[in-house]
Amino acid sequence: MRASVRVVTEDIVASSRRSRTIAAVLLGSMLLAPAPGARAASMEELEQKLKGLEEQMRTLKEQMEQTKSAPPPTAPAAQAPATPVPVAPGATSLSEALAAARPSVLSDFRLGGYLSSRFEASDLKNLNNTFTFRRFVLSGDATIAEKFRAYVELELERFTELEVERKTVSENGQQGFSQSIEGSNNSEVSLEQAWMQFELAKWLRFRMGNILVPVGRFNINHDDNLWNLPRRSLVDRGVPVLPSTAAWSEVGLGFNGDVATDRWGTFSYQIYVMNGVALDSSIETVARGSGELEAEVEIQPRRGTGNLDVKRDKAGAARIAWSPSIGQELGLSGYYGRYTPDFLPSEQLWAISVDGKVTLGPFELEGEYVRTHFSGISRVAQGFARSVVNKEFGTGTAPLEAKIDFELSGLADTKQGYWIEARYRFFPNFLRDTILGRSFDNPQFILVARGEQVWLDGLVRQIDFEDTMVTSISRENRFVNRMTLGLAYRPVPLIVFQAAFERTWTDSGKSLAAVTNFLPARTTENIANTFLFGAAFGF
Amino acid sequence: MQAEEAPRQLFPEASEITERTIPTTPDLQQRVRALLSRPPTLWETAYRVFTAKQGASLVGFVIVVEEIGKHRPITYAIAVKPDGTVQDAAVLAYREAYGGQVRERRFLRQYVGKGLGDSLRAYQDIRNIAGATLSVEATGRAMKKAIAVLKALGDIK
Repeated sequence: MRASVRVVTEDIVASSRRSRTIAAVLLGSMLLAPAPGARAASMEELEQKLKGLEEQMRTLKEQMEQTKSAPPPTAPAAQAPATPVPVAPGATSLSEALAAARPSVLSDFRLGGYLSSRFEASDLKNLNNTFTFRRFVLSGDATIAEKFRAYVELELERFTELEVERKTVSENGQQGFSQSIEGSNNSEVSLEQAWMQFELAKWLRFRMGNILVPVGRFNINHDDNLWNLPRRSLVDRGVPVLPSTAAWSEVGLGFNGDVATDRWGTFSYQIYVMNGVALDSSIETVARGSGELEAEVEIQPRRGTGNLDVKRDKAGAARIAWSPSIGQELGLSGYYGRYTPDFLPSEQLWAISVDGKVTLGPFELEGEYVRTHFSGISRVAQGFARSVVNKEFGTGTAPLEAKIDFELSGLADTKQGYWIEARYRFFPNFLRDTILGRSFDNPQFILVARGEQVWLDGLVRQIDFEDTMVTSISRENRFVNRMTLGLAYRPVPLIVFQAAFERTWTDSGKSLAAVTNFLPARTTENIANTFLFGAAFGF
Repeated sequence: MQAEEAPRQLFPEASEITERTIPTTPDLQQRVRALLSRPPTLWETAYRVFTAKQGASLVGFVIVVEEIGKHRPITYAIAVKPDGTVQDAAVLAYREAYGGQVRERRFLRQYVGKGLGDSLRAYQDIRNIAGATLSVEATGRAMKKAIAVLKALGDIK
């Protein structure tokens, strides 16, 4: 009973600012009540007044219930909301009120992203030392409506400049056009993700758009600021065993979901159908002084198109993960689809991956194994030879009148590899009151060791053909190993400073440049020692 | 889960639930801030506090608090026992694009029995969720804020 009285009293205090009528009614009650020393009231009069008061109390309670169902808005610690927000009935707070009264998608759109850069000093003569602007990624997400969410991620990789100039020129009375494109070397602008998701249930979410392919654990968690070493793993990036380098996304649709159980932990899955990886070409043309035009055509598997599917065939990818407890996860994933354009013989590629993570207090062990198989590489080469002669292959040059070199890059019968990363998190007490710890809630140092191996079996080095016939295909088996030791400092979860030393090596007497896409080694340089320092932050 | 349903779920043994709404006054903020040693990421303008009783005996309190994850506030209902330790918790609303695993029971169970004196930080006494570190940190702050508000109100010692 005592508790009930307190409830009423405190509620009245709590809502007094918003319910001036309550005070007025109470005051009225007091004024109507007999003054001390007035004539003694009869029992009937007292009962009548008591009933009146009960009625007033009932009205007050109703008013308070209405007030409680719509509490005042929540205010950020730093500043109060500039404009009052209508609070929806039943809302717990401003956040829920905002969700209920959202005027447009834009009001809920949140801009985020990350930026990463790196300095490296190598004993490779052609690399020496350099700063690299790794990535600037802008991301945005919005809850469009209840159960509907959209997410977009735009990446600027090594990108600092793009300038397009087009002007009309007049010379000797003749009109013409001049066009030039300038841009930063080896840079890229890429739409990494752009999808809409409809949550039918926690275990069934429909997703459509440009989606990260769920093969391995790195590709789906690839943000640079999440990792403690300043270079991505070999299998995902440097010597890509994944059919396309991370971050690998494709246009498609599918489902994902989570099923949490009390006894067996949490299961999650992703399954998508998509355009899928296709052989794509990049052409470098060189005009000789003699008037000859040389073209070097590099053909390699790349993420599929966002327009017409040149394969006229769809690919599928799926990942299932089991997390028996927080911090532990085991994942199995795979991809299957045709990788040849429709003017070439239909050939398939498949990739499988096993990945996992184990956490034991401050220790973490995380890793990923990927195996990819390209079928019918010889038939694909034969098809290319035939297409060039028949002018089916569009290089942008006249193939029979110009010298064309073909390079089938990154194609091997089988590619496989893994990375395994061990981490130990700590923060010494003697640093707590220094600039490294004083201003931060949970600063951390992370010791990291990563071991990686990649094997490329049947890697295509060179293809010679005459007329429509392939005369020889040169192949080799190669390996690439890398060991990295690093120390990272995270003052807050979104910011990381990374220092590391890495040693990369391949077959004796052979160049690292032929098997990696990031080390410009000379023909006999098969070992690279590199010091790296990087910084990355998310926002 | 709605806020009104939280007390029954977090204190299933309770036979009587009463509710009050406490406005966040500057004085209350000052007391909470002193208990936390630092300000929270946001101040609610009012706290919904549910008192749970079993017969005549007090079993605890459920308070609705919010903390910012990465971009958006996460709304929690946190059950606190009279001795100032966490009985249980539930996420009433999660609005971030990633990191929704903090809603899972197995994650929230880590806070049971923890108090204001505990670290409640990722990689210390709480297992982190990769890719959701900010939400994990927010959950720890929310637990501490809930206990601090109840202490500042004099509900718990």
